[in-house]
Amino acid sequence: MLAAEDVSFGYDARPVLNGVSVSVPAGGLVGVLGPNGSGKTTLLKLLAGLLPPSRGRITLDGADIASVDRRTMARRVAVVPQETELAFDYSVLDIVLMGRYPHLRTFELEGPNDLDIARRTLAATGTTHLEQRTFRTLSGGEKQRVVIASALAQFETDVANPSDPHGPPDRDPSHTRVLLLDEPTSSLDLSFQLATAALVQTLNRTHATTVVVCTHDLNFAAGLCHDLVVLRDGRVIAAGPTETVLTPDTIGAVYDVEADVRRHPITGHLTVVPLARL
Amino acid sequence: MTVMNRRNTAFVASVLLAVSAALASGLASGPASGVASGQARPERIVSVVPALTETLFAIGAGDDVVGVGTFDTHPPEVATRPRVGGLLDPDMEQIFALRPDLVVFHGSQQDQIEQVTRAGIDTFTYVHGGVDDTLTVIRRLGARTDRQADAEQLAASIEDRLAALRTRLAGRDRPRVLLVFGREPGSLRNVYASGGTGFLHDMLEAAGGENVFAELPRESLPLTSEAILTAAPDVIVELTYDERMAASSQASEIAVWDRLSSVPAVRDRRVHLLLGNQFVQPGPRMADATEAIARALHPDAF
Amino acid sequence: MPDTTATLSDRRPATAGSLRRRVWAVQIGFGLLAVVTCVVAPLIGPTSISLSRVFDGTIPFAENVDAQIFFIARLPRAIAGALVGASLAAAGVVLQALLRNPLATPFTLGVSAGASLGAMLVITLGVPLTVLGSAAVPLASFAGALGALAIVYFLATMRRQGLSTLVLLLAGVTLNSLFSAIILFVQYLADPAQTLQSVRWVMGNLDVGSYRPILWGLAPIGLSFVAFARLPRALNLLTMGADSAATRGIDVLRTQRLAFLSASLATGAAVAVGGPIGFIGIIVPHLVRLLVGADHRLVLPASIGLGAAFLVICDVAARTLLSPMELPVGVITAMLGGPFFLWLLVRNR
Repeated sequence: MLAAEDVSFGYDARPVLNGVSVSVPAGGLVGVLGPNGSGKTTLLKLLAGLLPPSRGRITLDGADIASVDRRTMARRVAVVPQETELAFDYSVLDIVLMGRYPHLRTFELEGPNDLDIARRTLAATGTTHLEQRTFRTLSGGEKQRVVIASALAQFETDVANPSDPHGPPDRDPSHTRVLLLDEPTSSLDLSFQLATAALVQTLNRTHATTVVVCTHDLNFAAGLCHDLVVLRDGRVIAAGPTETVLTPDTIGAVYDVEADVRRHPITGHLTVVPLARL
Repeated sequence: MTVMNRRNTAFVASVLLAVSAALASGLASGPASGVASGQARPERIVSVVPALTETLFAIGAGDDVVGVGTFDTHPPEVATRPRVGGLLDPDMEQIFALRPDLVVFHGSQQDQIEQVTRAGIDTFTYVHGGVDDTLTVIRRLGARTDRQADAEQLAASIEDRLAALRTRLAGRDRPRVLLVFGREPGSLRNVYASGGTGFLHDMLEAAGGENVFAELPRESLPLTSEAILTAAPDVIVELTYDERMAASSQASEIAVWDRLSSVPAVRDRRVHLLLGNQFVQPGPRMADATEAIARALHPDAF
Repeated sequence: MPDTTATLSDRRPATAGSLRRRVWAVQIGFGLLAVVTCVVAPLIGPTSISLSRVFDGTIPFAENVDAQIFFIARLPRAIAGALVGASLAAAGVVLQALLRNPLATPFTLGVSAGASLGAMLVITLGVPLTVLGSAAVPLASFAGALGALAIVYFLATMRRQGLSTLVLLLAGVTLNSLFSAIILFVQYLADPAQTLQSVRWVMGNLDVGSYRPILWGLAPIGLSFVAFARLPRALNLLTMGADSAATRGIDVLRTQRLAFLSASLATGAAVAVGGPIGFIGIIVPHLVRLLVGADHRLVLPASIGLGAAFLVICDVAARTLLSPMELPVGVITAMLGGPFFLWLLVRNR
């Protein structure tokens, strides 16, 4: 389980998060919602250990992540940022192999197992055919899948390498592996949005990956997430199962928008239609 | 002016300064010329050219000099005159304020020459070359300032002393000499030596030396250490502006040459360091400078 | 970048042993290139020398002109060229990755301007000529480089914890202009001969004439290279951005600090030995990327080898083309590098 316990954070003197508590159960699929500037991305960075909370703590399976070394952390928690810009041109395979960094020692080169793992994550994200392309030539949706593959490569344990300090294959379900996605649909067209949702769902179900998605796309979250956390001005306004959180009242309280929320007859999940500004 | 502009301008200007003023390496040569508009004796002269300021004093026009350049050091009286800048940075306002009737400029100061000419003030422009050119400049400056007799006397005395030197040294072996006028301190990098033209070369020949790079028709040669090893000069004469260089510094600068131990000049301890700007500014003290070089080359002839 | 890199990447066989082989091939190949260049360079020159005479121990060194040409006028230049070229190329690679900017050079962060200022001061003020047996100009320029390094580092780290690459860049660029202005002021006060010397120093000159400056330079450069050896994989990840690198287990701050300090130290030492020789630090890394791709485990060793070989070759040109005159080596690298740099700019659009 990944949890934020009464966490506060501010840039310089400006507070961004104020006493936020969130818990993401192993195997969970949690959406973090909120308007622009509500602190979604900051919360994600705190959960990933990129920023230290000024108050409270972040725990991974009960341990304060401040005391977890960064390589161990990287094998358990991976982040897919909103956009990835490369300063130099790497191949898709290079990018995915960069996910193997936390498993290699300083002068160690990627071995056959790392390559197998990279290939498996490419397959899992449907990007096998892109392996030899250069990253810069990919479309936005392709780039995102490759970065997800690279993030997944962080998790896998190198089975054949006895020197891997992580030891034998980590199948302990209590060891949460968390994928944190920041606004995964913001730069994608409709078709890629659907594909991303399907991919995240598959990863969550069949690869036992815990997922946290930050998004301002209510319908994307409604169709995907089991649970939602709704932020406004750095505070949690609502949290719980999607069905109970996603109500006209919550939406009104967070976005100042009157909305109609109903179950879609074909998809079967909740659908939000904004009606007017309150 | 922006930083970049200032930087570029100043860089270009400093290169110009280096090339044309310092080391006798102006590509343009030929006699200097005076603008002969009025031939009345000027009474208020400003000169920003060290060699010509010195010449003005030497031909008796010193009392008429009302402004001098930044780098002017000779004769000592120049210290009492207002400084109006140099090749790079003549202070035009101050020059006008001194109400000169003649301004002596470097040939490369085209803008300033035009400015002064437009104000109806006469200019005398100077471009240096060989020893003969220097003597011509002295005579022309004499003509321009209506001091022909003094100038003729000065030029003739220089000619006489150089001729006497040639006579004195006639028949002696002429050592092969490397004449160095610039070098990175403490190292043998960026060694600049005289090629086969210009007043340094002329002075060296008059002083009874044979320039090892006489074949190269340039005033200034940036040399590799290989070139020095290959040239294998019998004597190395190094000239420097710095008149007040400490004895210990002189010794250690001469010792820098020791690493080229196969060069006869080094082996035979015939590396000489001569201090003073008379060696690098062709003016009234040219005969003194030539005699000093001759003494270094032929110590037993004096 | 367009298709050239794509096809080069396509050539990369994606088998497990291949990376290991490529790393070895690059290290040995480019290492050999550097060594062969250093061995051949002293044999080339305007004067024809007899090798048997060069190595004839029966002739006293003081009388052996061939040996002096070889061991004083040529070999130290080749070694200095290799050392300086390797350092500047490697520093270029590291700083481009650190700043995530392919147009960064070793001189972007103000270190060379500090070094130049140090050298100018000694050339124009005529301070005591030797310190501990070493000429004052290289020592002063190294001290100037360290000063600039300290200022930039202090500015980039003072505002918040961590190292701001933006502040690093801005501070470096500003320091470059500031030091240039001070240099101009110092030159302005100097007499013309000193000004000529200081202008000439800025063009670079590897005619070190002895092994002492090389030995002095070896310590800081060696230290930097030890740090460089630890960097390549972290640099790969840094090109994805600091956060992406951090979530993959990189200690970003430590990597940035190590990258900045080692690249600056190598640059300072290289400039102290040879003067601020331009363009090596930008054209060599880019040429290498065209040859071996973007992986810093290949780019860094290849740049070290190619940087060394490239500068040694440029320096052979510097001392032979206009012989007996020295052509400033910085002019040669700039004349080759300037057009190449412009081509890169256009090509990157």
